[in-house]
Amino acid sequence: MTLAFGNKRAKYRVLKLPDSHFLKALGLRKGTEFTLECKHPFKGPVVVKVGCRCIAIDYDIARDIEVEEVS
Amino acid sequence: MKCHSSQNQKPISDEKIKILLMGNPNVGKSVIFSKLTGVHVDSSNYVGTTVDYTIGDVNFGRQQGVMIDVPGVYSLEATSEAEKVAVSLLEEGADVIICVLDATHLERNLDLAYQLKEYPIPIVYSLNLVDVAKRQGINIDAKKLSEELGAPVIPTVAIKNTGLMDLLRTSMKLAKEERIPRPKLTEEERWKKIKDIVAKVQTKVDSGPTFIEILEDKTIQPWPGIPLALLVLIISLGVVIGGGKALRALVLLPLVRDVIQPFLTNLVSLVVPPGIFRNLLVGDYGILIIGIEWPFALILPYVFLFYIVFSFLEDSGYMPRIGVLADGLLRRIGIQGGNIIPIMLGYGCAVPAILGSRVANTYKERIIVAALVSFAVPCASQSAAFMSLLGDRSILALASVYLLSILVALLVGIIINKMVPGKSQPMLLEVPNLLWPDKDAFKKKLKLRMKNFLIDAEGPMLLGIVIASVIAETGILNEFSRLIGPLVEGWLGLPKEASLSLLLGIMRRELAVLPLLELNLTTLQLIVGSVIALFYLPCLSVFAVLAKEFSLKVALLIGLATTTSAFLFGGIINQLGRLILGVM
Ligand SMILES: Nc1nc2c(ncn2[C@@H]2O[C@H](COP(=O)(O)OP(=O)(O)OP(=O)(O)O)[C@@H](O)[C@H]2O)c(=O)[nH]1
Ligand SMILES: [Mg+2]
Repeated sequence: MTLAFGNKRAKYRVLKLPDSHFLKALGLRKGTEFTLECKHPFKGPVVVKVGCRCIAIDYDIARDIEVEEVS
Repeated sequence: MKCHSSQNQKPISDEKIKILLMGNPNVGKSVIFSKLTGVHVDSSNYVGTTVDYTIGDVNFGRQQGVMIDVPGVYSLEATSEAEKVAVSLLEEGADVIICVLDATHLERNLDLAYQLKEYPIPIVYSLNLVDVAKRQGINIDAKKLSEELGAPVIPTVAIKNTGLMDLLRTSMKLAKEERIPRPKLTEEERWKKIKDIVAKVQTKVDSGPTFIEILEDKTIQPWPGIPLALLVLIISLGVVIGGGKALRALVLLPLVRDVIQPFLTNLVSLVVPPGIFRNLLVGDYGILIIGIEWPFALILPYVFLFYIVFSFLEDSGYMPRIGVLADGLLRRIGIQGGNIIPIMLGYGCAVPAILGSRVANTYKERIIVAALVSFAVPCASQSAAFMSLLGDRSILALASVYLLSILVALLVGIIINKMVPGKSQPMLLEVPNLLWPDKDAFKKKLKLRMKNFLIDAEGPMLLGIVIASVIAETGILNEFSRLIGPLVEGWLGLPKEASLSLLLGIMRRELAVLPLLELNLTTLQLIVGSVIALFYLPCLSVFAVLAKEFSLKVALLIGLATTTSAFLFGGIINQLGRLILGVM
């Protein structure tokens, strides 16, 4: 599943993500676990929480991030 | 207006110790820089406040040094403008690096810290924002961290000046030491190492969400974030409009009209014989009369309150949240949500707004932001003039002018989005913590902004007023009015004296509005006049900055487009308004 289709408040782990240095610098790497905080309407950004920091990710990028749910 | 990018090219002499101040974005580098060098640089609670570097002198005892405030970067890949600046500064070499770490986000900060270690320059770490970390229940063992990093780590609270002297002393001391660069680690190795270190040095107590954390959470969700944002906007407007009106009516106008003006009039009458010269000084358009009343009684109160509210929002970390909330909407006009910050900056002054649009990486986005701001975002001075002009007469008229400005802004965005090829940059943004703005930093920022306003605005405004009084008192105005009479009187339905607005408006935006104050206009004429002023030429400084940041062609194009639409919209509103009023 991709991040763009994730559910609010659910926890996910990154399986695959585009090769962007910026994503990595923000702490999103293969294997990172995070919570999906919220999704903004009209293909707005997806907000996730990695550790204790909030990152807003563009819908188009979120569509390219492969994730799996963790319980 | 001066931009801060021009002041940093002074040569550095060799015997001084060269200190590079580096770190991730929004970790407090600029605050540290300002405190240690006394050179003020802008600092705000969002990423990308510093897009260029600034140099300042620092002395410690007999040692002299220079410090360079490097733009914040997440890595040294040199992909963005800021990263290129940072890497080139590193390659030029330095005696010591102060690497600022954000104690609330240690893991991410260490990534850059490790990349810096690959350079043959000694490093001192400043573990900043420990006050916020403490509030969040995060505790970092600085001593252990220092052992792990093999370099001094000094806990600091930049805004409270805590630890900064220690930081400076340590870096001066270290500057003398040789340093062998560490071998390059691969990304994987680096991350693994960082994870280990964080596990060793950081402890976190979870004490349930604090009020601020709940607020942080709520303000980023579409619900209740969007209504909250609207509420914040309405409250801000209320403070600026209501407060400005009160300040003006209760304090400033009485002071100026009942005390200062009579005093000056009497004084001048004693010395200067009646005639054209006395009129120039204290006549209706007298330099000493409107030269004081306009800038101080009419414009200043609003500008002052605007910057209070704006600086508060800026330092609190709320702005990027608005950016996230507005992303869906701004995408329709070809820019990503983060650009809401330069656009809002434009409600203060278009010059920093256009400079600030540098954080938008694509040319297309920059052009859109610059055009929007030049077209349809009234600056604080102009808004103040609108409020003086319309606020007392008809709040509805005021509201409709602003509504029109927003509609046109959207339209401009849509059109340019179609015209200019290219794409907008996808949003990828770290949302900063919400912070209660620091009192000292806030005061300083406000003071600086007001000083800039007074210097940048007062000079040209006075000049404009001098020109106004000269051409009004000598009859040149009549000539000019006759010349463009058909346009002003026929198409726009304004009295011919309104041509003064058009003349002065070339210089500054509020000067396109203020002359209308003296004309006893009908509400329709007021709206027409305001609309023309709104879209009319961006002021001279904006024109200059457009030419500098883009090209003369772009500046001319924007100027032409705005002026044409000013007369077009103004005329249409006048004709339609007459039609409707005629029917009623
Ligand atoms: N509470 C607290 N706030 C701080 C501290 N240091 C900086 N700040 C605030 O953090 C925000 C960011 O500071 P800046 O100095 O603009 O950050 P910067 O590193 O220069 O950021 P860029 O120029 O974007 O790279 C500002 O709102 C500061 O007032 C600190 O030690 N404690
Ligand atoms: Mg800075």
